[in-house]
Amino acid sequence: MKKIFSLLISACIFSTGIAQLNISLIVNGQPPAQLSEWGNRREVLTLIVSAPGVIGESFKLKTEIKLIDGTVIATTDLAKSPVFIPSTTGTTILVANDVMPLEYMVFTGKYKTSLERTGKMPADNYTICTKPVRTTDYGPMGEMKCKNFYLATTQLPILMKPYNEEVLDAKKAQTAIIFRWSPVVPRQISPVTYRIQVFEVLPTQSPVQALRSNQPVLDKEILAATQYIWQPQLSFSWIGPDEDLGYVISENKSKIKEQSMRFIWTVQSLDKDHNPVTRTDGNGEGRSEPILFFVSIKNPMLLK
Amino acid sequence: MNRKTICVLCIAIFGCGHFLYAQTKKPAPFSVSGTAGVSYEGYGLHRNPSGWTGYQPRKPWNQVRFNFTPTFKLGKNFSLPFNFNFAAIPTNFAGPFAGIKKPSFGQFITNPMNSFGLNPKYKWAELQLGTQYLKYSDLSTGDIGVFGIGFDLRPKTLLFKFFTGISQQGINYVAGPPTVVGAYKRRNWMAQIGTEKEGKYLFALNIAKGKDVPTSSAPPPVTIRPQEGLVISVVSDLYMDKGFYFKAEGAQSIFTKDVATPLTLLLKGLKPFIEAHTSTITDYAAQAAVGKKSKNFDIGVMVKYLGAGFQTIGYPFLQSDRLDYTVNNRINAWKNKMNIVATLGQRINNVSNTALKAKQFIGNLNWFTQFNDKFSLNVNYNNFGFQTASGINPFGIKNVSNDLGINPTVTWTGKKIIHLISMSYNYSKYDERDVITGLTTSNNTHTTLLTYVPTYLEKEISPDFSILYFYNDVPGAKIALATISSALSMQVAKKKLRLRGQLQYTLGKLNSFSNSNNLIASCNIDFKLTKKLNWSTFLTTNYFKYGNEIIPNGANYVETTCRTGFQYRFNTKK
Repeated sequence: MKKIFSLLISACIFSTGIAQLNISLIVNGQPPAQLSEWGNRREVLTLIVSAPGVIGESFKLKTEIKLIDGTVIATTDLAKSPVFIPSTTGTTILVANDVMPLEYMVFTGKYKTSLERTGKMPADNYTICTKPVRTTDYGPMGEMKCKNFYLATTQLPILMKPYNEEVLDAKKAQTAIIFRWSPVVPRQISPVTYRIQVFEVLPTQSPVQALRSNQPVLDKEILAATQYIWQPQLSFSWIGPDEDLGYVISENKSKIKEQSMRFIWTVQSLDKDHNPVTRTDGNGEGRSEPILFFVSIKNPMLLK
Repeated sequence: MNRKTICVLCIAIFGCGHFLYAQTKKPAPFSVSGTAGVSYEGYGLHRNPSGWTGYQPRKPWNQVRFNFTPTFKLGKNFSLPFNFNFAAIPTNFAGPFAGIKKPSFGQFITNPMNSFGLNPKYKWAELQLGTQYLKYSDLSTGDIGVFGIGFDLRPKTLLFKFFTGISQQGINYVAGPPTVVGAYKRRNWMAQIGTEKEGKYLFALNIAKGKDVPTSSAPPPVTIRPQEGLVISVVSDLYMDKGFYFKAEGAQSIFTKDVATPLTLLLKGLKPFIEAHTSTITDYAAQAAVGKKSKNFDIGVMVKYLGAGFQTIGYPFLQSDRLDYTVNNRINAWKNKMNIVATLGQRINNVSNTALKAKQFIGNLNWFTQFNDKFSLNVNYNNFGFQTASGINPFGIKNVSNDLGINPTVTWTGKKIIHLISMSYNYSKYDERDVITGLTTSNNTHTTLLTYVPTYLEKEISPDFSILYFYNDVPGAKIALATISSALSMQVAKKKLRLRGQLQYTLGKLNSFSNSNNLIASCNIDFKLTKKLNWSTFLTTNYFKYGNEIIPNGANYVETTCRTGFQYRFNTKK
């Protein structure tokens, strides 16, 4: 009887050794909204798999993404997902592309639509759960581990003042120009640094061309505030004949031919490490959509 | 650009030259218009005390710019416009070329600060060579310069356009300092097919594509992924009788944010143009405008929707996921003496609910009235509000900007002088709510400006004088600025030499710190050397001394800028 009992215990331990893998899941609480970006950043998701005493048993990972109420919105297509073999050292470290391979994840309903359209899921709290399963019958080889995370797209500031194509009077603009923009949404954990840049648009340039090629006449970092009063300390004047550098900007003010210098401005939003708050949207530089303003130079000579 | 494309480009250029030569044998009228010139800009910055770096240079120390933009015309049907604008020293701060110091030839050619374009045109056929900034439509492509080859054909009312080339070269990542972010080489293709009758209608199908070459930079950029994007749009404009118009465009974009991600069948691609990767997104955008224009009355409604995943290579700074709608109105009344321009609308950001929906109210009004020959009044009002929830914080974000401006102007004529006095007052209020406490902070700004401009009827001098007071008040900071300035313009040497000088002094005060001082002097000299050749010079100096709000106390700097250049005007019409 003792022998039988010993054999049963040994068999049990042996079978557990084969089937059981210990896993530890680490997930960033607020990962990038763009799911494809998870694979580019190791810090977003890490899965540590250890196989105590057993080497060589291959496995797959069954991953699910759920809402807080438990509704499953995405699951791994196990028929196609990759196979893993535990490391000979006993510990295997896997990242987002292994745990949640987007090419083998099946999303449901509006989450599928949202992912197709935007590469993101709707802003909400989610849970990611994963467990190792056998490659043959997809039976469990370890405990399921879950972690919560919150997804929200970072919305870059909208430039408010000077508004697009606003014409500023040179006399006032030479003393001060007020810049205003909306804050980064949602509110970030650490204060955002707003880097405001103003570029002069030369007569031969298009506005975006000037932004991409000129040295900014204003390049200032503002911590957490959404307004900046700029003393330009520039003489808003022009060289050359009027017809070369003048821009008739208002047909309705033809009594005095107005001449203007053009400027394009933008705000770059930076995190505490001085990196763009978002790299996956738009230009990847965290720069808001730039807008143009004019500084009108009324030449008294033209009054005649 | 591959060898084939270069060969085609060379053949096209020499072909055009040969064609031009062949054409000049015939007694056809030949003319040249346009300009050519060179200008130099020098910048100096002297900071005190020595070693203090609290103020950074804001222009290149030296820069030389060239422009060559003549248009050669031969007969009625052939024209050859050049558009060469380039600078000697790269000064890129934003975008893919940021930080580049020693560009290769290819990088120099495709740098957005340089343009080398040639557009030979015969009747309705235009060949597009070199750098081209082509705007096909608002939602397809328009902001990016591409160096390459293409055509624009307009037989009768038909439109056929095609262009291909490179918008940026591969740029290696440099950790620095200074850091060079780096970029992948980007190839672009664009085409348009449609029909157009100027001033009547336009109906066109646009397709634009851009694709990065992942192996084009070594080491590759750290923070940028190689991308690929395609956009297809249908645009239609219709101009009807009595000034009515209708404009609309619908577009679909397919954009891969990282071509290194695996291919997938679960997402939509559009073979053979673009294959779907796991980072591919597909979304829509549309805009429409309808309205009526007339001499004294305009009204228009504009709606623009950009889906959250709408992204196009041709507009790299476009902020998507928004819905804008505005009503624009212009009225001329009282025998054209009253002019009112108004805009009212709303912008909704994060329409897709992938984050917190944010609403902005937009309201602008400009009301100008010329009461009589002596008195006019301009009133303007702008409102811009931004409101959204702020996630887990107890209060939502709410920022509201209000601006009111009143600007009366009085003129009267004496025997020898026309006097003009203009007064302007602006009140700007900016309210910002704290998302934790719910308290609203008001930021108030008052600006008053008084200008006097005497215009001498018998003399070639025009002075002007102005005084300005600016006051900004926000809890914890009060800024006051007082400025006096004067300028003088005059023409001498039989109007061949035009001079303009300006002097401005600003006294600033921040809270209870000592005053800051700012003096700006500038001078323009415009010398007509011959009928066709102009020499223009602009000199300015700026002295700024801080109050004791910064350390080291007494810090100051002097900036100087000199721009001088020759401009030749072609005019050989015979």
